[in-house]
Amino acid sequence: MMTKKELLENGLLEQYVLGELDTKQNEAIEKLLKSDAELKAKLEGIESSFEKLAIENAINPPDFIKPGLLSKIEKADTLISPKENNNSRTWLGIAASFAAFFLLGSIWLYSELNTVKEDLRIVGDQNEALQKDLDGITKNYDEASKWYAALSNPNAEQYVLKGNLLAPEAKIVSFVNHENKSVIINAQNLPNLDAEHDYQMWADVDGEMINMGVIPKNTKLMAMTYIDDAESLNITIEPFGGNDHPTVERLISNVYLN
Amino acid sequence: MFALDELAVTFGKFLTQMQDEALLIKQLQAKEERALSLLYDKYSGALYSVIIKMTRDEALSQDLLQETFITIWDKSHQYNPEKGRFYTWTYRIAKNKVLNYLRKNDILIQTDDLSVYKNKEEPETINRNFLELNGAITKLDAHHQKAIELVYFKGLTHREAHAQMDVPLGTFKSYIQQALKQLRKTYAKIVVFLLLMIDVM
Repeated sequence: MMTKKELLENGLLEQYVLGELDTKQNEAIEKLLKSDAELKAKLEGIESSFEKLAIENAINPPDFIKPGLLSKIEKADTLISPKENNNSRTWLGIAASFAAFFLLGSIWLYSELNTVKEDLRIVGDQNEALQKDLDGITKNYDEASKWYAALSNPNAEQYVLKGNLLAPEAKIVSFVNHENKSVIINAQNLPNLDAEHDYQMWADVDGEMINMGVIPKNTKLMAMTYIDDAESLNITIEPFGGNDHPTVERLISNVYLN
Repeated sequence: MFALDELAVTFGKFLTQMQDEALLIKQLQAKEERALSLLYDKYSGALYSVIIKMTRDEALSQDLLQETFITIWDKSHQYNPEKGRFYTWTYRIAKNKVLNYLRKNDILIQTDDLSVYKNKEEPETINRNFLELNGAITKLDAHHQKAIELVYFKGLTHREAHAQMDVPLGTFKSYIQQALKQLRKTYAKIVVFLLLMIDVM
């Protein structure tokens, strides 16, 4: 059994590279090389020095040798080629089948991808629409909560303004809260007016009518301006956008506050 | 910075060459003629030089070089990178081809001074330049140069060569080792790269 020490001391690596050793010695060295990186590096060093030396001393052989060599190995190959050709054709066929299979697979996957992309787009659109709905509902809910809180407030006093002869079917419910100074009305049962007119609300303070605001069309619940010391609430029909002073002839309803 | 860049570029080229060579050898083993052609371009000069220095006969060397490459082609599957470099493997094939030929034709006989050649006169057909050495080896001490020339370019074994130089075998071995050490210093760049390569691997 050869050891690393023997190997290095006897210069056997150099002789190994030069091809001077017998089969047994070669095998022993190759076994040591497998497990010893340092030895492998030493071998590489020796080999590369010899190789560099050889390249530095290279002599170009005449040009005709290479074509001669290549034609010789070609001839040798053609002797066994028929069998190989068949073999390679079979392999080529198998490779082509795989290629076709993968191509078809790719086309199928591509169409699937497009379908999935389309589905995703539709889902995205639906999601957006639902989000819009949800936003609307949330807004409505917030508003309703707000109104409910105001109307259910124990300090809210309820007054009903019934229509006079000018508007017998009119009926407005108002909630007056003196604590937090708010007036909320439900104008659901006010008859529709033409585009040139609006309902306007007034508070009577010591015989003077003070503007509480124009009642918007198409709105069920709304907040009006709270006026201190109001004795009564009044509703008149005024030109579109409201008036500075009430048109008393067109008063449709009023109620006295307690 | 420039030196570092240059080093990186050189190292990159070296790595590429190593990979290229590994690939070429795989292709050679897969019997691709293109690979043989490229490896021929790379190594035929080095091998031809060794063969011609051993035989001192141009026509014979040309035949033996072709036979060497035919063997490289036929036996490429026997090459194993774990056992050494590709060039080393081809060198051994070339050397064996020459030694076998010389033995078979009774040219190689041990003469009194243990020279391997029967015919001591230089054949007139040989270009003397072919026998001259170039490069780093010419910078070595004379006895180191001689030792390397005998084992590497003339194909003598250590045993034959030490007798020819008339020094003890141990001394001859240390000549070879010292000569290689000197050469390695000259080729230091390459060795650094190889160590790096080994680290990388």
